[in-house]
Amino acid sequence: MTKKIKLKISARLVKKRSRRNQGNGVKACRFTGNEEQIRNIDYKNAGFLRTFLTERGKILPARISGTSCRYQRMLAREIKKARMMSLLPYSANYY
Amino acid sequence: MNSRYEILMLTIPEISQDDIKNVETLLGDTIAKAGGLVISFERWGKYQLAYPVKKNEYGVYYLMRFEVPPSAVTDLISAIKTVFAIRLGNVVMRFIITALELDAPLTYQRPRSLEETPLRENVGNHMHKERKFPYDRSYGTNNNQLESDDIAI
Repeated sequence: MTKKIKLKISARLVKKRSRRNQGNGVKACRFTGNEEQIRNIDYKNAGFLRTFLTERGKILPARISGTSCRYQRMLAREIKKARMMSLLPYSANYY
Repeated sequence: MNSRYEILMLTIPEISQDDIKNVETLLGDTIAKAGGLVISFERWGKYQLAYPVKKNEYGVYYLMRFEVPPSAVTDLISAIKTVFAIRLGNVVMRFIITALELDAPLTYQRPRSLEETPLRENVGNHMHKERKFPYDRSYGTNNNQLESDDIAI
């Protein structure tokens, strides 16, 4: 039987693996079971939707904002509608 | 059981009263011809746009809501689109037609227009609050940093 060569894992890969496993705890979705918050998800409500964009105008991923899948998709849809109507920016480098 | 729709329109900032009356009557007639009823026609006011649209940095938003019987919807929507394309192309820059749920309340929230906000220095800055966004940088890669890889077998 040939001897198995154990490859030394680089420091970068070790860090990557440990970061994947750790989490900052389960963040609660602010929309599930909360009727008035769900009603806030509207393309006209640009002020509310802006809290889900980064400084550069990108949509925040669900693992950062903690929203569940269904409401993240609703959010993304409404943000894109608002972007089309120029209520929200596509990107932050216009001025 | 009429289905409810709303149209949010973005017009040029120097729109005149006659132009907006024209818009209202044209759309109202198209809707009435299809057997519908206009619920509301509101002016939001002048806004600074998130990005320049047709070389305009400011624009005026109008929101119109109406009810139609469901059988006439598809024809009405295409008729509205032709009205926007042909008759109102110079005045209305963008529009979006959305369906509203039947039992949804008619209240909504909208951002504050330029006429409502007090005059500030940095009108170009959309952020009403100073927010720190630590998530801005790309999460996976750090292109600038050189990382030492231990290569060993």
